Amino acid sequence: MIIWNRILATVDEHERSLDAVHYLASVLGGSDTCQVALLSVHQPPQADTIPDQEQRAQAGAMEEGLLMGRLEQARRILLEAAIPAANLSTHLIPAQGRPVAEVILEHQAGNGYGTIVLGRRGVSKTEEFLFGSVSSMVMHKARDCAVWIIS
Amino acid sequence: MQDAPELRPRAEQLSGRKLSRVRLVHDTSMFMELEPGDVLELEGVRFVVTGTEYEGRFGLSDQPKPWVKRAVAWEDGSAKIIKLVFHEEFHRMVGGFKVRCYRSPEKEARILALVRGDGRFMQGITLRDTAGNAVRVLERIRGGRMDLVLEDVARQGHQVYFQRHLRGVLSKLTGVFQAIGWLHAHGERHGDVRRDHVLADSGSGQWAWIDFDYNYDLMANPFALDLYGLGNILWFAVAGHEVTYHWLKQDHPEILERLRPEDYSPALKNRLMNLKKVYPYLPDSLNNVLLHFSAGSPVFYERVEELMAELAPAIGELPQGEDAP
Repeated sequence: MIIWNRILATVDEHERSLDAVHYLASVLGGSDTCQVALLSVHQPPQADTIPDQEQRAQAGAMEEGLLMGRLEQARRILLEAAIPAANLSTHLIPAQGRPVAEVILEHQAGNGYGTIVLGRRGVSKTEEFLFGSVSSMVMHKARDCAVWIIS
Repeated sequence: MQDAPELRPRAEQLSGRKLSRVRLVHDTSMFMELEPGDVLELEGVRFVVTGTEYEGRFGLSDQPKPWVKRAVAWEDGSAKIIKLVFHEEFHRMVGGFKVRCYRSPEKEARILALVRGDGRFMQGITLRDTAGNAVRVLERIRGGRMDLVLEDVARQGHQVYFQRHLRGVLSKLTGVFQAIGWLHAHGERHGDVRRDHVLADSGSGQWAWIDFDYNYDLMANPFALDLYGLGNILWFAVAGHEVTYHWLKQDHPEILERLRPEDYSPALKNRLMNLKKVYPYLPDSLNNVLLHFSAGSPVFYERVEELMAELAPAIGELPQGEDAP
């Protein structure tokens, strides 16, 4: 069941992804009626690209560390905006080679979030064509939920 | 690598020539040292090396691929292609962007196991040498590049190609595209989708994907580059040749003034995707599929299924014509 005051906000390794969290803080600041889940979806390094297990684990740990740090930064931004800690949660999910947007939407649908908040990185059209764009994919494929794309 | 004169008679018989020496090889790590006549023994199965494969890409002069050997099976004399382990990392420019690419023998081995018995893909098995290298033993596909077959058919002029062949060609291409969608559904990417990586088997007529060992870093949509490759193949198949700015300038300069930047590919900016501007009889439905690969498209395909959902009905609107070549 979709619950409209359950909000899913995504952050990635780019500092600019926190812009969306700042926006969310300014909109929701002081509210104790919303629950905000902060989500980061990452692609762990593959054995194909880093065959050495130790190097792969190291690269994966570095990436996870960076994203955990970003999630914590996002959580603090919302705490400072007087959103109760009990209403905040953080989630780090591996995409395992699937499109990041599909994992976000699966998490949204599976947990009944009514709103998805994403930052737009401002990739060029060519980049979007060649490599995909998380915000565009979410916007095109989201069903039964609101999508806020913060540019 | 040890001299094995006792293997010489059979090795010469299979090679069809006199050999100066015959060596038995259990570890293929030093593939640069392998010579014709060397006998590879992998998990107890033997193959005689008969030569090195070459790669010719889009008319560029052939490049030797020393890690890919022509070989003959010891037991039954059947022709094989043997791909030895060569880890390569390089950057490739795609649409002006640097993409880090890898050659991954393990990925190809995994896909070979996945597609076993599926004629839409090259067939083969993986055998380990004593160093643990994943050596891929491939069945040779008798035939040629699918794009050269199409180019040949389209030589009779585009209107004839459109009336008589396009429906058959695209129907057959559908199977090739669905094969990539099937790979994606199984969590794999081809990694190097381009038209010279589809071979037409001259015996069965089957079109099959080859070369699955390329990989690249994962991105927002890990399947986007494969889709980009499919768009390029579709573009070529619809025209039967390359429709580029330079071709238009030479053969149809009157069309150039009607073209806008959004008619071209966002990645290859001299590639005209809006083919209806050159071939006005193309149905809108088919041209609209091509426009999804143009700079003017507000939305790009994100999954092969989305492409197929629009391509299949578009093919249905084409003249009946003949079967694919």
